[in-house]
Amino acid sequence: MNTGYSRRSVLFGLGAVMVGAGLPRHAFAALDSTPFSFLSGTEARSLALLCDTLIPQDDFPSASQAGVVDFIDLQLAGGYGRGEHLYLNGPHPEGTPEQGYQSPMPPAKLWREGLAAMQTLIGPLEGQPQSALDQLMTDLSEDKPELAGRVGGKSFFTELIALTNQGYFADPIYGGNKGYAGWHMVGFPGAYGYYTDTIDDDNRPYRQPPMGIGHEPGKTDFSTKG
Amino acid sequence: MNTRHRLLICFALAAFLPGHVTGQAIPVDQSYDTARDLFNMTVDTPPDPAMLARGQAIATHGAGDVQSCITCHSVGGQGDGSGSFPRLTGQPAWYLDKQLDDYTSGARPDDLMTTVAQSLSEDDRAAVSAYYASLAAPLRVARGQLPVNEIQKGAAIARAGSPEKGLPACTNCHGPDGTGNPPSVPYLAGQYANYMVLQLDRWRRGKRGNDFGGMMSAIARKMTPEDMRAISEYYERVANPLTTKDPE
Amino acid sequence: MARRLAKTDVVIIGAGWTGLTAAYELSHAGKRCIVLERGSYRHDADDFAAPKEHDELKYAVHHAHMINTRTETLTFRNNSNQRALPMRRLGSFLPGVGLGGAGIHWNGQLWRPLPSDLEMRSHYESRYGADFIPDDLNVQDWGVTYNELEPHLDFYEKICGTSGTSGQMADGPREGGNPFEGPRSTDYPNPPMRQPIGPTKFGEAAQKLGYHPFPMPAANATKEYTNPYGAKLHPCTYCGFCERFGCGYYAKADPIICVYDQIKNHENFEIRFKAQVLRVEKSDDGKTATGVTYLTDAGEEVFQPADIVCMNAYGLWNAHLMLVSGLGKPYDPKTRSGTVGRNYAYQTMAGVNVFFDDQVVTNPFMGAGALGTVIDDFNGDNFDHSNLGFLGGGYIACTQTNGRPINYQPTPDGTPAWGADWKRAVRENYLHHASLTVHGSSMATPVNYLDLDPTWKDAYGRPLLRMTFNFPENDRRMADYVMGKAHEIARNMENVKSTSASNRAAEGSDYSIVPYQTTHNTGGTVMGTDPATSVVNRFGQMWDHHNVFVFGAGLFPQNLGYNPTGPLMGVAYWTLEHMKNDYIANPRPLMDA
Repeated sequence: MNTGYSRRSVLFGLGAVMVGAGLPRHAFAALDSTPFSFLSGTEARSLALLCDTLIPQDDFPSASQAGVVDFIDLQLAGGYGRGEHLYLNGPHPEGTPEQGYQSPMPPAKLWREGLAAMQTLIGPLEGQPQSALDQLMTDLSEDKPELAGRVGGKSFFTELIALTNQGYFADPIYGGNKGYAGWHMVGFPGAYGYYTDTIDDDNRPYRQPPMGIGHEPGKTDFSTKG
Repeated sequence: MNTRHRLLICFALAAFLPGHVTGQAIPVDQSYDTARDLFNMTVDTPPDPAMLARGQAIATHGAGDVQSCITCHSVGGQGDGSGSFPRLTGQPAWYLDKQLDDYTSGARPDDLMTTVAQSLSEDDRAAVSAYYASLAAPLRVARGQLPVNEIQKGAAIARAGSPEKGLPACTNCHGPDGTGNPPSVPYLAGQYANYMVLQLDRWRRGKRGNDFGGMMSAIARKMTPEDMRAISEYYERVANPLTTKDPE
Repeated sequence: MARRLAKTDVVIIGAGWTGLTAAYELSHAGKRCIVLERGSYRHDADDFAAPKEHDELKYAVHHAHMINTRTETLTFRNNSNQRALPMRRLGSFLPGVGLGGAGIHWNGQLWRPLPSDLEMRSHYESRYGADFIPDDLNVQDWGVTYNELEPHLDFYEKICGTSGTSGQMADGPREGGNPFEGPRSTDYPNPPMRQPIGPTKFGEAAQKLGYHPFPMPAANATKEYTNPYGAKLHPCTYCGFCERFGCGYYAKADPIICVYDQIKNHENFEIRFKAQVLRVEKSDDGKTATGVTYLTDAGEEVFQPADIVCMNAYGLWNAHLMLVSGLGKPYDPKTRSGTVGRNYAYQTMAGVNVFFDDQVVTNPFMGAGALGTVIDDFNGDNFDHSNLGFLGGGYIACTQTNGRPINYQPTPDGTPAWGADWKRAVRENYLHHASLTVHGSSMATPVNYLDLDPTWKDAYGRPLLRMTFNFPENDRRMADYVMGKAHEIARNMENVKSTSASNRAAEGSDYSIVPYQTTHNTGGTVMGTDPATSVVNRFGQMWDHHNVFVFGAGLFPQNLGYNPTGPLMGVAYWTLEHMKNDYIANPRPLMDA
């Protein structure tokens, strides 16, 4: 679903809460003309705040600065959101934690309802102090709040933390990990692994900069790719 | 194995990309000879000036009895298309240094290069490797009619190997579009087809065996001469921004 | 009425390790073989080439090489008091699909069973007394001995170009290998993989404590290698995209390069893709199978008649197929009669996280599925069980398989799950961590079993397989004990800042279908010498239908402390030998009931 918002205008409309101290390291300038595929503007802004609570900016970009919102948008608009690898047949009785995901909803629906339910909890997320967002996240992870609708706090939290993490560290072809932010942070060289000569070089740091699946030789920043 | 792979280049990381180094002190094992250091990453980062100067001097004027590198590898380091003198510009310094080591020890026998390498000291070999790694030179355009079918066939093998022949794809190891995977793996993009055909043939016949585990010999033995020609013609024409620059 | 196809000598269900191997061996023995694979054709050279293959999100997180639960899954519960619910997403185990099956995305950890493993009941009773094994554990002998399997275990190691260091040869022990292993007739075909610093430090600490570390045997070639079928393998590059991925380098042994490529053009070999077997059909008198009914790619149901039916699907699906086809007698947990679905077991996993100081740089992204250093001192009955209160054991390994950043984020105990502190902990520990794995055995019990679900169905209208499983008390105690030993080693490693241990089978933890543990589902179609407690005899032949031969880890009466592929392939070659040299000339039950 093409919502017609540009990323930069949506996300940077948030102001100081999201941008934080100093300029974001990885901007969305190249994507300004590309609208979101699934998220509405409100959803995207809420999501940015939630993701940045999970992965805030420090010496390395925050989640939204690294493109996690873009990543999640594309995942929810695609096969993952549709539940292409999910057995969705009913009935859907509730199970034990050991029995895993039992929701009748494909992820796209679960996210939509979950994000909407966030708004009912502490009011609009924008403008909330970070401490309130941190508390919200803690409550979600402990399944504490009574969320409106059919989505449990814990199940939404599980999705949120999983996709935020994936968006920060997956190959940049999926829209996140902009400029290899996540890979630079930990020191992961990426998709081209040839370590025959160095595997038993004990304790030698390997400083090869990352190269992803779509890497253009000579470029270290992936943000020019759509 | 480790001790033979020596010094390289110390490129400043700070200019490279913000965020990579800050926030994480990368420790170095103090027992290492600090001259054995890192890999070269791209030619865009500023290298150690003194070493480069030394390398340039050797390359241009030779050292002792040894003729200068430019005699055969051309003034810019781009070699020629004959097959004997490969392009050196922008190859990973670690890789170039290892080849010079292997020429010296006999692990990579060669009529010409063995004497050359043996006449250079360890430090000289390192310096000249560093120098060539830092260069870019104009691409030599292949002459004659474009062998389109060969190039297509070569491209297919390069990217997708060959199930029929049990051939893995070249991109597995040789980097994005064959532009190399430092430190160990040289680029193929922009290298001369005749040189690559010659090397593949040497791998195949067992005349070259200085890679680990016999990987390239195993691969070359699965290729026919037509395969070798096809892959080499393809890669010669792949643009490699790391190692080429426009002619002035 | 399904359309009837022309008869073949042998129909083989599944194109994984055992299916393609059966096709190779039986084709060469002069029998016309048709392999039915429900998945698609794929090949290492093009489909598994880097960099496109090195996509953690697609293959390791979204499981693109594995079954899609939408079309193939099961239901699960911990015990019979619960209602089993569908496994809607993959988690605990990752069965395969397509040419090569799970043999494409496996780790390549390749073991032999211990001699005592194969005769577990006899061995424990003889060493510890007739009353040592509790009544609530269905421990059984396999019906085949190590000496009988040895040439076949040896052969499979060669098919895979296995790299390792021998510990026990037929003529005596060797330095540097596993001193507990059953005697080998020949050496490993390839030298061992080169060990990075983490496993090296583990080995040093283990040695100091008096244990016997050795490099893990790996189905990865370490140099140019040609296998007995003529397949040419290349040395491993330690790329760190091994397990969950196909190997585009021709280094990790898999059924496509090791077997399929060498048999695909044989006149007796045919393979049909997108062929979903729905049922094995029985003769009117029920004594034999007449062939299989399968769904073609075009959606047509057809019947493939055959003299011999080989069941080579993944272990769980072999059991499922028997149940929906009415082969053998289904297990009933209330009466404890019947055998199909009985003795289901898994793997009991525990581990220790080791955090090094900054002096140790582990480069975790350099790895391979079977790269690591192991000790076998606490596996099987390699140690005295006299007063321990459990059977079984497991190897302790320090492996370095990958540093893929979505899933590899080790942080010390007490680190929050998100936020600034989490983020910092992830990057501070990424290059300074190693993990120890306890790979523990899994006993079979009367209450862990497979049957058919009463509610949910698969894409073909058949009831889903239902799995009832929880960790037996025996295994909880075993895992706790061996984890304790692992933790002791970890504390003795050099440069260690902190350690933390975890046990999937800890007291109070129920087996969960959610986090990945292993794809080592065993039992359900057990082999043995007594039809009351086995589905197939010691030659892999069904007691009830003498022309049905069954392969895979479903044959294991209980699971060992090793990865199952090596042992199951040893049994597969043993079965095939008896098919070729005995059964085919004179089709009949090879054992008296």
